[in-house]
Amino acid sequence: MIGLGVLILVFLGYQLVGTNFLTARSQDLGQQTVEEHFVAAQEEIEVVDTLPPPQVDDKDTPEPLPHEDEPPVVHYGEPTPEDGLAFGVMTIPRIEAEHVLFEGVDRATLKKGPGHMPWTPLPGQPGNAVVSGHRTTYGAPFFDLDQLEPGDEILVETVLGTHTYVVRSSIIVAPTAVEVTDPKRGAWLTLTTCNPKFSARERLIISAELVDGPNFAYALADKEFVPQEAS
Amino acid sequence: MRRLFAAFPGPLPVRVLIVMVALAVVLVALFFLFEWAGDLLDSGGVVGPGQ
Repeated sequence: MIGLGVLILVFLGYQLVGTNFLTARSQDLGQQTVEEHFVAAQEEIEVVDTLPPPQVDDKDTPEPLPHEDEPPVVHYGEPTPEDGLAFGVMTIPRIEAEHVLFEGVDRATLKKGPGHMPWTPLPGQPGNAVVSGHRTTYGAPFFDLDQLEPGDEILVETVLGTHTYVVRSSIIVAPTAVEVTDPKRGAWLTLTTCNPKFSARERLIISAELVDGPNFAYALADKEFVPQEAS
Repeated sequence: MRRLFAAFPGPLPVRVLIVMVALAVVLVALFFLFEWAGDLLDSGGVVGPGQ
């Protein structure tokens, strides 16, 4: 009985304290790697697409005005990072969190810090970028994620620059609710973590919309863009 | 503990080796047990069909 008690104490100590040291070291190394990545990937930034500028509603006219004299908005793409590589830094001022982001959501990658789901767009790109992270172990990057409220900012720095998101919603779903990763028009950032704290029974989902950054104008245009049907 | 050590077969070096192998096996088993139980506390927050 004493042995079992000691084993449980060692387990909790390892999970809740020991794993934090492992992640802190990975974050330090990731900080160096991400700076190297920013330099190396700078030359691989490319223009992926252009769209007509978004239309602006003018209350004095019945129809939205097309801004034909304005240049098209540009979608800047960045190279897809290799699995497990640090590619960006996420800052959440409300909960005083700053974490290096890694590519991938496998077990080994999430031990280093929040990980980007590779089958979703990168943060800062149009669509729905999904980032997952531990809630209570391995540095607990998303420990206070439940404190985020609509209007709170989330900043993500990638090789393109700083992308500013604003939280729109916070929901709790089942771990199998894969629909939260579905593509969306515009540009979104979805954060997923375990819920409640110290349990993997549910998932807390934070949904945030891009409001500023290199691809903001494109994301806005993408949201309004209606493709012309082929005649 | 000493009695258990004495019960191992073979000369002293062999018994020491047995103890070292047994310790390694226990540590590896504990590591996997902790990893499995750790997933119950916090699996990393990934959403998907296999979660």
